[in-house]
Amino acid sequence: MMSATRVRAPGLDRPLIAAAGLLSLISIVALASACATLNPSLTTKQAMWIGLGVLMGLAAASGPYTRWIDLSLFLYAGALVLLAVVALAGTIKLGAARWLTIFGFSLQPSELAKLATACVLARYLAAQPTPLSVRTLVISGVLAGVPALLVFLQPDLGSSSIFVAIWLGMVIVAGMSRRHVLMMIAAGTALCPLAWHGLKDYQRLRLLVFLNPHLDPLGAGYTIIQSQIAIGSGQLLGRGWFAGTQNYLNFLPERHADFLYSVIGEEWGFAGSVFVVVLCGMLVWRVSRIGSLTPDPQGRLLAAGVISWLGYQAVINMGMVMGLLPVVGVPLPLVSYGGSAMVVGWTALGLVQSIHRFGTRL
Amino acid sequence: MTDRLFLLRRGLMVGLALLVLRLAFMQLAHGAAYRHLADNNRLRLVPQAAPRGLILDREGRQLATSRSQFRVAVIPQEVANRRATMKRLGPLVDVPPGELDWRFDEDRSLPFLPATLVSSVPKPVALRIEEAHLDLPGIVVEQAITRAYPLGSVAATLLGYVGPPDPDALPALKPYGVTPEELVGRAGLEQALDAYLRGRAGGSLIEVNHVARQVRVVGHREPVAGQSVILTIDARLQALIEGQFQQHQQPGACVVLKPDTGEVLAMVSFPAFDPEAFATQQRGAIQQIFRDPRSPLMNRATDGAYLPGSIIKPLTAMTALEQGVVTADTTIQCPGFLTIGNRKFHCWNRDGHGPMTLREALRASCNVYFMEVGRRLGQERLRSGFAGMGFGRRTGWTMEEQAGYLPLRVRLNEGEVALLAMGQGDILITPLQAAVMAAAIANQGWVVEPWVVKALGEVEVGHTHARPLGWSSAHLAIVREGMLAVVNDPEGTGARAKSDRVRIAGKTGTAQTHIQGHPHAWFIGFCPAENPAIAMAVLAEHGGSGGDFPAATAKVICEAIVTPAAPADPPPNG
Repeated sequence: MMSATRVRAPGLDRPLIAAAGLLSLISIVALASACATLNPSLTTKQAMWIGLGVLMGLAAASGPYTRWIDLSLFLYAGALVLLAVVALAGTIKLGAARWLTIFGFSLQPSELAKLATACVLARYLAAQPTPLSVRTLVISGVLAGVPALLVFLQPDLGSSSIFVAIWLGMVIVAGMSRRHVLMMIAAGTALCPLAWHGLKDYQRLRLLVFLNPHLDPLGAGYTIIQSQIAIGSGQLLGRGWFAGTQNYLNFLPERHADFLYSVIGEEWGFAGSVFVVVLCGMLVWRVSRIGSLTPDPQGRLLAAGVISWLGYQAVINMGMVMGLLPVVGVPLPLVSYGGSAMVVGWTALGLVQSIHRFGTRL
Repeated sequence: MTDRLFLLRRGLMVGLALLVLRLAFMQLAHGAAYRHLADNNRLRLVPQAAPRGLILDREGRQLATSRSQFRVAVIPQEVANRRATMKRLGPLVDVPPGELDWRFDEDRSLPFLPATLVSSVPKPVALRIEEAHLDLPGIVVEQAITRAYPLGSVAATLLGYVGPPDPDALPALKPYGVTPEELVGRAGLEQALDAYLRGRAGGSLIEVNHVARQVRVVGHREPVAGQSVILTIDARLQALIEGQFQQHQQPGACVVLKPDTGEVLAMVSFPAFDPEAFATQQRGAIQQIFRDPRSPLMNRATDGAYLPGSIIKPLTAMTALEQGVVTADTTIQCPGFLTIGNRKFHCWNRDGHGPMTLREALRASCNVYFMEVGRRLGQERLRSGFAGMGFGRRTGWTMEEQAGYLPLRVRLNEGEVALLAMGQGDILITPLQAAVMAAAIANQGWVVEPWVVKALGEVEVGHTHARPLGWSSAHLAIVREGMLAVVNDPEGTGARAKSDRVRIAGKTGTAQTHIQGHPHAWFIGFCPAENPAIAMAVLAEHGGSGGDFPAATAKVICEAIVTPAAPADPPPNG
């Protein structure tokens, strides 16, 4: 409490709002075309989710983010309970269950868990001396590992890896020693064969198919091939809104969700696709800038968590639909269809705005 | 350590820059080639649906099977003269051209996507359309596998139906290769066993040239057929019982069990529905099923909870004998009513039955006797006797079921306890629970868990789970004697179930409902009485007296059990 004279909290970071707002706008525009033959009501639903997300974001930005960090243990515990419920429901129903239905709405608790994990890690890591001790790394690793494991059991490999990304980004920013980073890379490489055994058959197939799409030309390989054709055929300016043949001829599976970016590539071409990448870059830039301008370690770490999470998802999703990375089912933040992801994404950005507004005064 | 955030930022920016490079490579450098691929649509996916597993009865008769179906569709952009085409097609498929025109507009979405005109035509018709394809530009015949139920509506409420997957459930099914076009189980066993019944669709990815001729097969995956399921159901018996309900247009339910194992031989719920209406998406027929006020989709045997009425009396009797509040020789006077507190409870026979022993009270279904027994037992002991039978709880049935209702925590007054003892008042049971009760009396006091899936593919999965009640066989003999008298004595309330071919023991029940004068009618029983092979419960909704339709149906069931299927019996699968 260094400021005895009450300074008015600064306003919101405009470029960040612009980037997020434009991404959500693009989501609506692309979705309208992508689900025209699939289920047109998705567009209205998505608009509703965006509205709710913006409200949540404003609410988060209006007060100090430290409140969230103070409450992060409850948030985290709640998210774990929800994840456990979903994991249990999944075992009972003999299938992949990622949703909880509450009052007719499906809630995807893994999205909530991402935010909760970032908050709880910010709280914990901010209190640790640097460079981080092995003990700190293990404890923080367990904090991120529990939700990662529960999500992995759903089974949802892609979302599970996001927790690892959040943890990695945050421990690096918190002050992990260089030696530990190198050791971790070595250990990670060594563990790969072990991880292979923990995967479901269809997940292994997806990874193999990534190496050779013709292994499963009807399933996962088909998706990659068709998605690449869609993006590539967009050329410089795209085929135009509502004019993508890959889209309308049903060549693109999951095109409202994980593969919405291929519809953008097909219909808006290089110009549109690069614009989305640029907006993601802007998001990364503004969030990291807010984080580094904040003297409060909790705020800086939370910003690091949010950026590792959203940035990682963006790179993985776009890389996947372009055939650069294996298909692991990660949505494009603020763009892909999905209510939980949209609302939680906007809430996280609201928290970043709160760091911007209140972080300097703490 | 602030610079570490820049490190993170730089890492992500490098990733994003790589994406831009990749985009430039794909869209700018090789864009034309990709555009070519997209335009010519050289890759075509020719799906090949996997046949769904069969559902067979215990004798191997087919209850559900897969059938090839021919669908007539139209590709809007390829139709030259719509009127002329419809006029020519109409007589071939036996649909007025105007109706075809209407369906065309109803189902069309995009110029190049086929719109369905007739969802199923016989093979000869399909061939005739194929032959005439030059005169019918834009008309295509597509082959699809659909679900067929050779016995029609037999066991429909148990089997359930298939249909396109629920859009909300689709995301969870996707990792298992389910597409929105596929048929998945939406109700009943089709839904409960969907993971086993559903195969994995296959197909070929082919490359075609500019005139749509196949150039080469890029990839192929064999469809994997679903597993067959063998049920414990006896389709002949099932159809026979359904025929009884059908003949009298009597809504109700019936469950026939093997008392020693809990195998369900028949589970009837009437009215039923035609499950093929869902498999072939006949909108009109489906709407009719949904709108039917008699709820044909509901499986009354497991999802209907009813007041049991007098069929509970054998259980009250067993509880009383076990608790020692009466013996076989205890006589209770029935003056036609019983006064509890200041209320008078009447027997159904207002003139009174006179002095009654347990056997006589069962035979005459004397209410006063059992109300008095209930009063002597008291709420605790009566309730624990009923709870021991599993009332108020699920039986452990394969699918969803109602638990019924038993007042566990509520304090009842003496009059309510007396009513409970004769099956009126605060208690609801399902026909399945009633059949389990009949089975327990038939099998020396074991509460069996009813089951219906005998085998999945080659694997036997049916197991008997039973819980002993520890009933003394001397007491059981008394109750069974009373139940024999119900059917076999001329004065018994279930005399219509008497058969000269097999000795049947049973109990009738008539349960008051909110519609005055239209009580639910019940019959529970087992046969042959000396060494029971089956136990059953028959329920007729608002069916009057348990001695009428339910008792008569029980007789038909029991006689069918002792009579081997005559060769003249129409074989169910044609």
